[in-house]
Amino acid sequence: MRACPPRAVLAMCRRATIARPLVSLILALACALLASAQASDNAVNQVAQRMYCPVCENIPLDECLTAACQEWKEEIRSQLAAGKTDQAIIDSFVARFGDHVVGVPVDPLLRALTIIMPLLATALALGVGALTFRRFAAGKTQTAPSADRARSEAAYRQQLEADVRARR
Amino acid sequence: MLAELGLAALTLALAGALYAIVACLYGARTGERRWLQSGRNAALLTCPALLLATGALVVALLTEQYQLSYVYEVTNPGTPPLYRFTALWGAQRGSLLFWSLLMSCFTCGAIALNWRGESRLMPYAIPIMMASLAFFIGMSLFIENPFDRWWVLIDAPVEQQVLSSALIPPRAVPPTEANLRAGAEGMNPLLRHFGMVIHPPMLYLGFVGFTIPFAFAVAALAAGDLSNSWISATRRWSLIAWLFLSLGLILGGRWAYDVLGWGGYWGWDPVENAAFLPWLVGTAFIHSVMIQEKRGMLKLWNMLLVIAAFSAVMFGTFATRSGVIDSVHSFARSEVGFPMLAFWAAMTLLALVLLAWRWRAGELRDERQFASLLSRESLFVLNNVIFIALFVAIFWGSFGLPITSELFLGKEVTIGAQTFEFYVVPLFVAMYILMGIAPLAAWGGMTVARLGGVLRLPLLLTVLVVLGLAIGGTDLLVAALGYGVVLFAAIVALFEIARGVAARRRTLGEDSLRAFVALFGRNQRRYGGYIVHLGVTVIGIGVIGSTIFQTEVQHTLDRGETIAIQDYALRYEDFLRAQAVDGRLMNIASLVLLRHGDEVAHMRPRIDEYPQLPMSIAGAHSTLENDFYVLLIRGDRQRATFRIYINPLVNLVWWGGLLLILGTAIAAYPKGRR
Repeated sequence: MRACPPRAVLAMCRRATIARPLVSLILALACALLASAQASDNAVNQVAQRMYCPVCENIPLDECLTAACQEWKEEIRSQLAAGKTDQAIIDSFVARFGDHVVGVPVDPLLRALTIIMPLLATALALGVGALTFRRFAAGKTQTAPSADRARSEAAYRQQLEADVRARR
Repeated sequence: MLAELGLAALTLALAGALYAIVACLYGARTGERRWLQSGRNAALLTCPALLLATGALVVALLTEQYQLSYVYEVTNPGTPPLYRFTALWGAQRGSLLFWSLLMSCFTCGAIALNWRGESRLMPYAIPIMMASLAFFIGMSLFIENPFDRWWVLIDAPVEQQVLSSALIPPRAVPPTEANLRAGAEGMNPLLRHFGMVIHPPMLYLGFVGFTIPFAFAVAALAAGDLSNSWISATRRWSLIAWLFLSLGLILGGRWAYDVLGWGGYWGWDPVENAAFLPWLVGTAFIHSVMIQEKRGMLKLWNMLLVIAAFSAVMFGTFATRSGVIDSVHSFARSEVGFPMLAFWAAMTLLALVLLAWRWRAGELRDERQFASLLSRESLFVLNNVIFIALFVAIFWGSFGLPITSELFLGKEVTIGAQTFEFYVVPLFVAMYILMGIAPLAAWGGMTVARLGGVLRLPLLLTVLVVLGLAIGGTDLLVAALGYGVVLFAAIVALFEIARGVAARRRTLGEDSLRAFVALFGRNQRRYGGYIVHLGVTVIGIGVIGSTIFQTEVQHTLDRGETIAIQDYALRYEDFLRAQAVDGRLMNIASLVLLRHGDEVAHMRPRIDEYPQLPMSIAGAHSTLENDFYVLLIRGDRQRATFRIYINPLVNLVWWGGLLLILGTAIAAYPKGRR
């Protein structure tokens, strides 16, 4: 995208007889219109892909067909035309509508929770696995206590016999 | 008449389920077999009763009985007969009834097949299954009744004149047929797709299927029979539930690809994830259960996994149906949230309390300890660690963080695909590596040198393929490595099958085909498992290709203009606005797709305008190499804007899914009696 040359244009305007504020306003509008024509659908989608629909939750903005999303996409186009970066545009939406318009929370606490918790969970799962292995490695191949087994086998036999008797 | 019939059948089913609970528990307490038999018969009665209730609703849907508010809500006179039938699961009330019917079918199957073999577990398994069933029937009867009818109260003020009720209110008359037909709303447009004919029933079968292993596990805990009998009773049921859940997930992905119009098949939507979570736990269980069967180990862990799988199903059902997490799937919001949450908590708590009781009594002690860290059982434990880490990470992103943030920080958050991919991708890489190593490791343990020896050939083949990709075609190292990891698992699965065939040929002198068939017949579980692994690797190749190498552009074309993308060219031919028989307005663009200058397809992407929402239906040209996928964004006869995707290897996702289903079916297929 080409940037507007405001200084050069304003230098020309100094020689003009029209009041400076009015010229500035007209030029700003002209620049915006010029750049708007250059903000392609692909550029808009690149930003919209990182945002979410304000109406249908969990639907990425670039995919949504609702009127609200069309308006947001047009606003992104305008902001791109005004020379804002992708991140600045996203930040402006987050500032107005909150963290739910993006897929990765901007709030530092929420961002930390998003990233750290799954890592902690993975580390915990690996830790439990490691402890299990350690316990296994420390132990020898062994069977459950024979007394327990004998008791359970006796109970099992008793139950079997009861079942057979009941079927008769 | 249909409403009365449905209500009576539902009431009978509820009574049967409740009676079965009481009779079986009383029979278990007193040891009187006749009570158990009576309870069993009552449990078996629920299936025909629910079949009758569901049949009444289906007839009402097909014969346009709009006085039933459910029929009025999900169909209209323009709904085609096929979608009238699928409207049974098109909204909350019908889908709850359908859920109950499927659960009763599973329950009756489990009772009929295990009554003799598992008579010690039945007095407790039947009440658990019937408690789940009674809960869902109760929801249908008291909260989300599909047999509610519209009534006009003669003496009421105008704004209170119309109400929906299952019973006939005093001084009420039915609305006129003309009014009902004119006002009928019709099905959610997203559900008017062939995929919706199969996807929900498969998913429901997967969900309700996990009730059976859960019931037998809790029965084993209650009865104190902690041998492997509950596992032998439910192993096949777990596989069947897993098979249907896998099929439901794959069909859901296909539906999203065709209907949601975003060029992808998995969006990490919370409700997609709600179905994926039980699948992850179920996968961990069908692996770790082998360790208990073969080595008598991980008894406590397997119990925990079965409880977690059922709990994940119930939580997912709660999340989907209560609207607690919004998504495209949350079409079915209602007052069911709190009862479902309470039921989920109660069942999970009951199971955990029983588990803790038996564990404290030392009855879940393993019969053997792990002899070596380098053994198949150790690698299976690692596999379980990965699946549980995936479960926790996805649960946290889908439910944990959004709910925590809203409850305690008052902020709504959306966790998007890029966040999930950040922590899920490394875990999947680890899963594929283990999928390659574990089948080659021996039970009980082996030396590093021996494992290295058996890994040598598959690793060498993998390295050759990766080098071939890096030199020949793939310009991204990450992709080449990704393909390498996935192919390693595939090569090992093929290597193991080839080794088995070679062994039979050598020792029994069979020809290759006979040896191949006999191999699967003799050890269907093991070799069915390898086919599942192959399916998962084919899916992996499809996912890598269609995500890393996806091309996406949006372009506006004048009529007659052509755009070139890679070796394709797309020409905008025409635009048509038409009205379909069901009343929706269709905006259809007509395009011609050329490849290397030759015409290969005519494509008609369109936007359907429904009163509820517009829907973008893609035009696609599919080959095994890639999908050329076009969405109409806006347009008229002069010019139109299209979003174009080229998704390489995306069809392997579906073909891999079919392989996975085939392998699971082989593994779960009952062996003939000898």
